[in-house]
Amino acid sequence: MEIVRAHDVSRIFPMPAGPVAALRRVSLTIAAGEHVAITGPSGCGKSTLLHLVGAVDSPTDGSIVFEGRDLASLSEPERGRLRLTRIGFVFQRFFLLPMLTAAENIELPQAEAGATAAARRSRTRELLAYVGLTDRADHLPSQLSGGEMQRAAIARALANRPALLLADEPTGELDEATSDTIADLFDRVNAGGTAILVVTHNPSLAARASRRLAMRSGRLLA
Amino acid sequence: MSALHLAWRTVRRYRAQTILAIAGVAVIGALLFDMLLLSRGLLLSFADLLERAGYDVRIVGGGGMALRMPIPDSAAIAGLVRRLPEAERVALVRILPARLAARDGKPSASVALIGVSGAAAGVWTIVRGVDLDRAAGEACPMIVGRSLAARLGVGPGDQVRINAEQAGVTSALPAMTCRIVGLGQFAFGGAGDESVATTFDALHRASGEDRAGDADLILAASRPDAGSAALVSAIQRARPGLAVYSNDEVVEQFNRNGFAYFRQISLVLSSLTMVFAFLLVATLLTVSVNQRLGEIAALRAIGIGRRRIAAMLLWESSLLVGVGGLLALPLGELLALGLDRILRQMPALPEQLHFFVFEPRALVIHAAVLVVTAVAAAAYPMWITARMPIAATLRREVVG
Amino acid sequence: MMEPRKRRAVVAALAILPALAKFAAFGVRHVPGPCQTPACGAAAYAQRAAQATEPPAVLISRQLAARAHLSQGDLVTLGSDPKGTRRAVFRIAGIYEPTPDPMRFTATRLEARMHLPDLVDLAADPADPASREAATTINVRLADAADATKFATDLAARTPGVTARLASRPRDDDPFAVLDRFHIAISAVTMAGGTAFLLALMVIRAEERRETVGILRLLGISRRTLLLSVAVEGVAIAALGAVFGILLAFATEGLVNRIFQARYDTALVFVRVTSSIALRSVLIAAPLGIAAGIAASWTLLRRDLLSIVRR
Repeated sequence: MEIVRAHDVSRIFPMPAGPVAALRRVSLTIAAGEHVAITGPSGCGKSTLLHLVGAVDSPTDGSIVFEGRDLASLSEPERGRLRLTRIGFVFQRFFLLPMLTAAENIELPQAEAGATAAARRSRTRELLAYVGLTDRADHLPSQLSGGEMQRAAIARALANRPALLLADEPTGELDEATSDTIADLFDRVNAGGTAILVVTHNPSLAARASRRLAMRSGRLLA
Repeated sequence: MSALHLAWRTVRRYRAQTILAIAGVAVIGALLFDMLLLSRGLLLSFADLLERAGYDVRIVGGGGMALRMPIPDSAAIAGLVRRLPEAERVALVRILPARLAARDGKPSASVALIGVSGAAAGVWTIVRGVDLDRAAGEACPMIVGRSLAARLGVGPGDQVRINAEQAGVTSALPAMTCRIVGLGQFAFGGAGDESVATTFDALHRASGEDRAGDADLILAASRPDAGSAALVSAIQRARPGLAVYSNDEVVEQFNRNGFAYFRQISLVLSSLTMVFAFLLVATLLTVSVNQRLGEIAALRAIGIGRRRIAAMLLWESSLLVGVGGLLALPLGELLALGLDRILRQMPALPEQLHFFVFEPRALVIHAAVLVVTAVAAAAYPMWITARMPIAATLRREVVG
Repeated sequence: MMEPRKRRAVVAALAILPALAKFAAFGVRHVPGPCQTPACGAAAYAQRAAQATEPPAVLISRQLAARAHLSQGDLVTLGSDPKGTRRAVFRIAGIYEPTPDPMRFTATRLEARMHLPDLVDLAADPADPASREAATTINVRLADAADATKFATDLAARTPGVTARLASRPRDDDPFAVLDRFHIAISAVTMAGGTAFLLALMVIRAEERRETVGILRLLGISRRTLLLSVAVEGVAIAALGAVFGILLAFATEGLVNRIFQARYDTALVFVRVTSSIALRSVLIAAPLGIAAGIAASWTLLRRDLLSIVRR
């Protein structure tokens, strides 16, 4: 069963020096539980594609259907709801809220989804154990290492049991050993049934994916 | 994980800027609170002084409050007012310039010699000694202002010599000896309190007139069940053409003429401080939001709704303005003491008159203004985060 | 002089105004020398009245002209008592703007000016010869203003009952000196509040640059150099801010004055931004801005390097 179908998607950014085509007629499908990696040089449009699939941005042309729903037909609150409950995001720079502890960062999307306090605490404990941060639950991000922060970010992304995990250069700011830890974690997440779309420069991370795609100049290479 | 909780954690994290912002709001809020106290402070204080004098109706000569001129036939008018069922008590007041000397050879002081007939309780408060009505047997009993007495080195029991002067007339009346029976705080006495009071008869003898002159002022107190308005109407019916005013009317006249400057300046400064507070909190919040755009874009990306983020910003603004506004109250009271001390240096101002007087209304307006400021200051940052392009912001944060 | 309310009543009540022709020219009446006896005074008054071919001139304030719908050339009757028993006809020779009086700026200036002999004729008690010699104030312009104090003292000593006062004597208890102190206190409080906010903003700005500062420190750039660059930037921003503030003050000065002049129908200037005030403002604001920037940056720079570069 496919959860994402992107058809002939283009994204053009108007710039002062002239329009820039970040994506040119890209088509992509992701099946449930699939692990897909997209590699390519900087500026080839990987992150743009990720943003479009994650309903963070809208294509200039083409269509993207997520679990049977055309993203273009959704209102902003509906897209937000989709991102909250069906999609999880992991960023290169982690983007944890600095004033919340690791546990509170993981609780936040659950609270937004309307989970009760008890349910949130239970799920958060489960996720902290899952990513190996049980003893760091009450630490602020500034007190965590880079790898620990990324694991907390992954736990946050999984908080509402999404169908698809989107990761934008998740190991971009980590060393090799830590990157491998993150890659192992992605394997476990995928093994649990969550589809993953990761964009990365890291060949060893890309090698973990069941399908690898290359991008260049806004196009997916065959 | 409510919006308030998120806001609280945010202000706690950025401690230095939070403390400084709250300090700024407290200081500006104190100024706003003081301007609200000033807007009616002088009026309330003046009304209080009039009430404390114990009379709620006054008859003046000269056709108005501003000019002190004798009231023709004042003794008869006073008698007529006394007989009115609405009146409880009546007093005649006459004021002449005079010179008071404590002892031979000592320099004399220029004073206002107040002659009062009937019960004059309230025009002054006895602080030492006895009042005029308890000095039976004295030909010229005198009440001397407390600070004047201290300056002249006199007290109850001492004899003083008084030379009354008639306005506009060069005279050389012989001095009259009077005995100080009490020291008083005159309701409308200035800081130097150069007022002395004696009986109407004694003033008449000191003035050297062949018949008792007309009073400058007739004070009347209405019966509690009648009220000042009823007494004013009764007097006007009995003697049309008299300039009769209740205390409320006196206060209203001074409000229109004498207090306009302070009303205006309090309005101008209240408005300015409100605008100032709004601009400062709005700028601070906007800069703070710009500092956290990446965080906020990421929150939007993971599905945290605009409403929660907007509520968080509104709570941040409310916390800054609310805590600052609360601190502004004691700070404002302290500041008001200092500003009141400055303004009371105005010449010829009654010592007991104050410019900054607390009333609950000021507190309510202060709170309302701060609520509006908090909401308005959060409006633009809320708008920024609602309209923020998530993808472009994330990209900028990664690259930048 | 009668109170304004009664004055208007007399002026308005007389129906002769619209019936009289407006004469084009109007001359100054000849005023004979002062009289020493009541009989002489009364006779002189009658003589002048008989000889007059034109009513005497009067100037009225703009506010009175507007209130009573009068214009130059109109004939008006002025009386000195509420009953209007002693009155005379005057021609309005002109309309003037009263000199604004800060102590009476809320008062509506319904006033008229006439030659002193005309006022004396109008207001003096015919039975009292001294009333024709009475004046409220005598203004004296001295040949040498430095003599003013001595002149006032000598005059007071020679003429008991007369008060001689300098026109511009500064007094500690001058109400405007008190208001000046009040305004300075308000300004000081406003500055204190503004300074707190300025510091808060500078702290945020310093925090925004934390990464940049950390990188520069890692590269070996000294704290001193970084503080110097902050100071230079602070000077530029403070100077721009001060100039903007002065321009804003000039702009709002006109607005405030227009609002209050319209509100109170006066020519009084309420706000005046002088070059001295502008200079004082710049001298206070600019160092404050620079100091706030340096203070906020120092709180960042004095931290150890690792804590700066770490997220």
